Amino acid sequence: MRNRDSRLTIAGRELSGLRAEKTILLAIAIQLFIAAFSSFLVVGLVSMYDPGSLGGAEVEVAGAGDAVSDLERAANEVGGASVTRYEDAGAARLAFDRNAADAVVVANRNDDGGISATVTAPDATVETTVIVVQLRDLLRTYERQERADRAASLSESPLPLPERTGTSPYFTFTYTVLIPVLVFLPVFISGSLVVDSITEEIDEGTFELLRVAPVTLGEIVDGKALAAVAIAPGQALLWLLLLRVNGTPVANVPSILVLMTALTTLVVALAIAISALAPDRRAAQFLYSIGVLVLFGGATAMAGGPANAVARLAIDSGDATTTALVVAYVGIAAVAYVGVRTLVAENGFEK
Amino acid sequence: MIDRLRRILRVARWETARAGGGVDRRTLLAALALLLVAGGVLGGGLAAGVVGLDVDRDVYRVAVDGDSPYADAVEEAPALTRVPVDGALLGDTADLVVFDGERGGAVETVAVRASDTRKGEAAAAEFREAVEAHNERLMAVEENRTAAFPITVTLQYIGRTSGLEEGSTLGGDDGGSGDSSGDAGGDSFGGGGDGDGSDDSGGDGSGLSEDDTADGDSEGDDGGFAVPSVGGAAFGADTVGSPGSISPPFPFVSLLLAFVFLVPMNFLIQAYGSSVLDERTNRRGEPLLVTPLSPVDIVAGKTLPYVALAAVVTTLIAVAVGGGALSVIAVLPVALTFLAATFVGAMFARSFKELTFVTVGVSVLLTTYAFVPAIFTNVTPVALVSPLTLVVFDLQGEAVSVGEVLFSTGPMTIGAALLFGLGLGVYREEDMFTQKPVGRKFLDALAVRLSAVGGPNWGGRSLRARLRALAPVAFLTACTIPFVFVAELLAVALLFALPVTVSIPVLLVTIAFIEELAKSIHLYAGFERGAFARTDRVAVAVGTASAVGFFLAEKATAVVQAVGLTELYVGRAAFGSVAGLEGLPPIAVAGLFVAPLLLHGFATTVAAVGASRSRTYYVLTLALATLIHAAYNFGVVRVYA
Repeated sequence: MRNRDSRLTIAGRELSGLRAEKTILLAIAIQLFIAAFSSFLVVGLVSMYDPGSLGGAEVEVAGAGDAVSDLERAANEVGGASVTRYEDAGAARLAFDRNAADAVVVANRNDDGGISATVTAPDATVETTVIVVQLRDLLRTYERQERADRAASLSESPLPLPERTGTSPYFTFTYTVLIPVLVFLPVFISGSLVVDSITEEIDEGTFELLRVAPVTLGEIVDGKALAAVAIAPGQALLWLLLLRVNGTPVANVPSILVLMTALTTLVVALAIAISALAPDRRAAQFLYSIGVLVLFGGATAMAGGPANAVARLAIDSGDATTTALVVAYVGIAAVAYVGVRTLVAENGFEK
Repeated sequence: MIDRLRRILRVARWETARAGGGVDRRTLLAALALLLVAGGVLGGGLAAGVVGLDVDRDVYRVAVDGDSPYADAVEEAPALTRVPVDGALLGDTADLVVFDGERGGAVETVAVRASDTRKGEAAAAEFREAVEAHNERLMAVEENRTAAFPITVTLQYIGRTSGLEEGSTLGGDDGGSGDSSGDAGGDSFGGGGDGDGSDDSGGDGSGLSEDDTADGDSEGDDGGFAVPSVGGAAFGADTVGSPGSISPPFPFVSLLLAFVFLVPMNFLIQAYGSSVLDERTNRRGEPLLVTPLSPVDIVAGKTLPYVALAAVVTTLIAVAVGGGALSVIAVLPVALTFLAATFVGAMFARSFKELTFVTVGVSVLLTTYAFVPAIFTNVTPVALVSPLTLVVFDLQGEAVSVGEVLFSTGPMTIGAALLFGLGLGVYREEDMFTQKPVGRKFLDALAVRLSAVGGPNWGGRSLRARLRALAPVAFLTACTIPFVFVAELLAVALLFALPVTVSIPVLLVTIAFIEELAKSIHLYAGFERGAFARTDRVAVAVGTASAVGFFLAEKATAVVQAVGLTELYVGRAAFGSVAGLEGLPPIAVAGLFVAPLLLHGFATTVAAVGASRSRTYYVLTLALATLIHAAYNFGVVRVYA
C-alpha cells in the first residue's frame, strides 16, 4: 500500500508541475494547430490537384497532325478534355498563344507504325498541374485504344480497367500520414518530458533529496514514468475526437490508444535508460532524439511498423496481423520497461 | 567595432568549448553506434526485401479470385491487400469486390463493387491505378515495342507569347533554361524517335519529367504517392516516353529534399535552447552578466556558433542533394528564425520541461510555415512567402529573380531580428534568474523598450522631448507588423475549411482582435511596469502614437508594392487594401486613405484607456476595440461588395 502511494505521489507531483506551467496546454495547442492546418491542407490541395473537384473543369486541347482523329476518339471517352482540330501545328500553336486552347497536342504517325505526340502546356501557371493531369488522362486513354488496335501483335493483352470513380487523393494521405503523425507526437513529447524531468533533478541536486525520502529508486522511476505515460493517450484521444467532428471517422480507437500507450511506455523506457547513461541534459536530449528517430524510422520502414499499424486500424482495415502487432508491441514495451527499471534500480543514475 | 567583434568572438569560442563539453565524445560515439545499428538493420532489411517506406501498405482490402489476372495486380500494389472472395463482406471484411468477365481465357470486361463510403471510393481509385500499373508492367516485357507503347510523348512547357498569364509567370526566362532542359528531355526519351516533334517547336521547351530523370532513384520509391511511372531506370537505355510516364509538375522529390534542410534545425534548437536555459538555472549566467560585456555581445557570441553550424550543415546538405548557393541563402533565414524563436522561448521558459514544449512548438509552427507554402511552388506565387520555395526552385534548376529572393527571405530575417530583440529585453539579472510566468516576462520584455511618458517631470519637457518619448511606442507597434501578418495568414489558413457564412465574420473579428492586441499589448505593459503614468491624457497620447506607428508600417508595406518588389499577385493579395481604389473620386480615395488612421487611433485609444486602469478594464476595452474594428472592417467589406 505504502509503495503504491509514494509512486502516485511522485506522479502527481510531476503532473502538477506540468499543470502549473500550463505546458500541457501548449502541447494540446500544438496538436490542435496541426489538426486544423491539415484540414486546410486537405481542402486546399484537393481543389488544386484533383481536377474533378473543380466542378467539371475541362481542358481545351488544340489538336493537329495526321493522327489527330484518333486523339479525338480518345477525347470522347475522357470527360476532362476536349480536342479541337487545327490544320497544322502552327495554327494550333497560334490558338494556344491566343488563349483559345489550354494545350497543344501534335500527333504524327511514324514510319515504324508508332505515333509521336508533342504536347505543349503553359509554363508553370496556376492551371498547369490541372492541365497536365487531364492531358495525361487523355493520352493514356489514347494509348490504351491504340494498344487495343494493335492487340494482335501483343503476346498478352492489357487488362480492361474498371470504371473511373471520383475520390479525393488525400483520403489516403489523411489516414496513412496525418493520423500516425498526430498519434505519435504525444509519444515523443512524453519521452522528452522524462528526460527533462530526470536530468533536471540530477542537475539541480534535488534527486539526492528525493532519495533521502523513504522511497526507493525504482519507485521514483515508476512515478515519473507513470505521469509521462498517463498524459499521452488523453492527447491522442482528444484530437482523434476532433478529427471525427471534422468529418474524418477513425475506427478502432481503443486499439490505437493501446498501441500508442505501449509505444509511449517503450519510449519512456528508452528515455530513462538514456538519462541514466548520460545525466547531462543536452547529451541526453540529443541521444534521445537520435534514438527515437532511429527507433521510429526503423520501425516505420519495416513491414508492420507502428505507423502502418495505426493507419490500418484507423481506416478500419485491421486484421489478425494488426491485432497480433498490437499485442506484440504491448509485450515489447512491458519487457523493455521492466528491464530498464530493474537496471536503474540496481545501478542508480550516474552522477 | 573591431573591439566588439573580438568580444563576440571570445564568447563564441567559450560557448563552443562548453557545448563541446556537454556533448562529449562518449555521447557522440553512442549516437554514432545507434545510427550504425539503424543503418545496418535498414540495409539488411533492404537486402532481405522486408523494408519499404510504404506507409499505406495494405490499407485497402480487395476481394478478388485467386485465379483472376487481377489478383496479380492487387498483389503488386502495396496499398492493396487481397482477401478471398468467398465470405468477403463488403464494408466489413472487404472494401472492394472485383468481378472479371472472363471469356475463353481472356478478360474482356471488369466490374467492381465498392462499399458506399469514401474509403470504398478511394479503394476503387487505388485499384484502377493498380491495374494501370500492372498493364504497364505487362507491356514492358512485350517483344513488340511499337505495339506495347504506340505513343511517344514529348511534353514541353511554354510561356504564352501574349495573354494574361504572362505577368504572373514564375521562374523567369524560358529561353535561358530551355537549352539545358531540352537536353534533359532528349536524354529521357533517347531512341524514342521523337526528334521531329521537338524540332518544329524551337528550343524553348522544358523536357518531360525533369524531376524523374534528374533523380533516378525517385522512380523506385515514389510508387506509393504518384501514379507509378515505368520510364527511366526500369528498362535502361531504350526508354520511350509513354503517356504513363508523364508526371505533372508537382515537385515531390524536390520538396522532400527541401524538407531535409529542416531536419537538422530541430537538433540545433535543442542544443541552443539548452545552452540559453543553462545560463538561467542555478544563476550560472551571472558571472558573464557582471563582466563589461553587454547582453547583445553575450547573446551574439552564444548564437554565433549555432549560426555557423547551421551554415555548415546547410551547405553540406546543399552539396549532397545538388542544391546551389541559392539553397543556402534561402535556408539561413529559416535557421535564424528557428534560433530566434528558441531564444525567446528559452528566455521565457521556467524549466527544461517547459522549454521542451516551447521547442516542439517552435519546430512545428516554423516547419509548417516553411514547408506548407512550398508544396504550392509551381501552383501559385503565394508559395514564395516561404524561403523553402526558393530551395525547391533551386533544386529544379529554375531561375529566380533578386526581387523574389528578397521577398522570400526578407520578412523571415526581419522577424528573426525582432525576436532576438524581444528576448534581449529580458536578458538581465532581474528576469533571467526569477521564476516569473511567461506572460509577465513577455510584458517585461516589451516594457524594457519603452521610455517614460507622463509622470512628475513630464510637464516641464519640450514638445520635442515628448514626441521622442512617444516614438518607441510607435516603433514597437510597427515592429509587430510581420507577426500580425503571419498571425492573420495562419488565421485565414485555419478558418479556410469552415463554410464561408461562418468563416468571414469569424475571420473579420479574429483579424481585428490580432491587430488591436498588437497595437495595445505593449501599452498595457508600459502601464503595468510603470513606464507610463496612469492618466487618461497619457492613455490618449500613447494610443494615438501606437495607431500612427501601425498605420505607417501598414502603408510601408503598400509602398513595397509600389516599388514593384512584388508584381507577383501575392503582393496584391496581401497588401491589397489600396489596390482596388482606381476609378474612385479623389475625395473618396483620400477618405479611404485616412479612415483607417482614424479607426486605428480611436480603437487603440479605447484599449489604452482601459490598459491604464487595470487588467480587467484592459480585457474589456480590448474586446470593445475589437468590436469597433470588426464593425469597420465589415462596413468596408460591404462597401467593396
